[in-house]
Amino acid sequence: MGPSVVVPQGVQALQVLTILLGAPLVSGVISHVEARLQGRRGPRILQPYYDLAKLFRKETLVTEESSWVFLAAPIVAFGCYLIVPLLIPVLTTYPLPLGYSGDILGGGFVLALAGFSVALAGTESGAPYAQLGSSRAMTFGALIEPTILFVVFVVALITATDLPYAMAANVRTTSEVVRPGHILAALAFFLVVLADTGRIPVETHTGTLEFGMIDEGRTLEHSGPALALLRWGSAMKQLILYTILIDVFVAPWGLAASGTPLHVGLAIPALLGKAMVVGVVFALVDNLFSKLRLFKITEFLAASFGLALLAVLVFYAGGG
Amino acid sequence: MVAPVPSTTAAVDDVFAILVLLTEFGMLRAPLLRSQVRLYAFQSLVVTALAVFVAATQHVGALYGLAAFSFALKVVAVPAVVLGLLRGSRTDLAGSSVLGVASMTLIALAVSAFGFFAIGSLHIHPMALPTTALAVSTAVILVAFVLIILRSDVVSQAMGFFSLENGVSVASLVVATGMPLVVDVAFLFDLLVAVVVFGVIMRVHHTRSRTLSTEELDRLQG
Repeated sequence: MGPSVVVPQGVQALQVLTILLGAPLVSGVISHVEARLQGRRGPRILQPYYDLAKLFRKETLVTEESSWVFLAAPIVAFGCYLIVPLLIPVLTTYPLPLGYSGDILGGGFVLALAGFSVALAGTESGAPYAQLGSSRAMTFGALIEPTILFVVFVVALITATDLPYAMAANVRTTSEVVRPGHILAALAFFLVVLADTGRIPVETHTGTLEFGMIDEGRTLEHSGPALALLRWGSAMKQLILYTILIDVFVAPWGLAASGTPLHVGLAIPALLGKAMVVGVVFALVDNLFSKLRLFKITEFLAASFGLALLAVLVFYAGGG
Repeated sequence: MVAPVPSTTAAVDDVFAILVLLTEFGMLRAPLLRSQVRLYAFQSLVVTALAVFVAATQHVGALYGLAAFSFALKVVAVPAVVLGLLRGSRTDLAGSSVLGVASMTLIALAVSAFGFFAIGSLHIHPMALPTTALAVSTAVILVAFVLIILRSDVVSQAMGFFSLENGVSVASLVVATGMPLVVDVAFLFDLLVAVVVFGVIMRVHHTRSRTLSTEELDRLQG
């Protein structure tokens, strides 16, 4: 009898659970490191879990103008963030049953649906700052799209598919990581993650000044369990984007090559550890740079588009 | 069609070339005159590092000498001279670009794309010649022209001109590694002449019009 293996469906469920339960931990570590870098003691690493527990115990308040959309949006967004880990390599090098049911663009669409529903709830609330945040998030979201599209083109040029598993396998097995086209695409995606997770230089994620808010502004009117779902969702989105950056572009090592419980079990701390390292890099960026003025964000996005476009051009010029 | 994986040496060459191109984009964006000079120094440092890398991997000893010469001249001497002139003129910002930064970046991207397509249309096999580095150096030269055309101050125009030479250096290092050293050094002497000429232009322009901006030059004097 061979060694026992975890059934693929079980691993798939574990992927979702890792993102679901690990996301607040990664957020907690980043906040802690960020505070330390700024000379503060900072919150406990487990603080996001306590915050979520507190919010789940509170009541939900809804403005009189709001409709059911306001209450449904956090649930839809949370559902979307639970779907994406089914499509990307979180724990394994081999594709799982639902891994090929959506490509990178498919995953992007699901993430966009989540962003759209939260923005819709922001406009639905009738509050001026939430509407401002929603409008900005959608505008800058549209400007990020071309970069994402060109990064997908690079993946297609490298693997002739747009499946994240194929790209990760390619990075592991060839000298892919030193290819200039690949480095440019990974750098462009890094900037996209920076913009999409609402970090400096695009947004101060811990800021309380409404005029500078983009992503944070959208959820100003939510409270109680709905706000908990939104906060948890945004932590999950952060970990999902980190996972794509790590396991598809930069360092897809430490993933389980087989379904044995030991391999799968080790892949979970490996992923969370790598995500924390990436998080520390983001915290360093947060400390080293200042926030851009709102109208300068287009320059930042133009730079990320430039990198992605150059990546495609380099491949065109002869193998990148 | 899947793009073929280049050898690690070719890939590292290409990474150096791309760094030179990205620095050129940085120079296009840098508003402070002295940060532009520093970016030029960094770009020259990358070219020097490329020379050392090519010398080590292709076993061309003469390139070590070129690297040392290029370091002394382009990383230390030229930036020092230009920064000295800038200190003398007490100017941080001069002139303004004709277009906004995002538009300039998009134009520069379009121009570099033209460079890539122009080299691509030659249908050279990547194994015969490192086409990526050649295309990148063409893009560097074209973006340097954009810098000279769109920025209206003497320092940007001088830096754009100097960085043209960096683009040519990348091409000569990667594409024609065995080129006689004397030709490479001749390029550097061309640069030396250019530095003197631009130094004189900066001094004269600043003394006459009390600015480093070239926007006022179309006005008749006297």
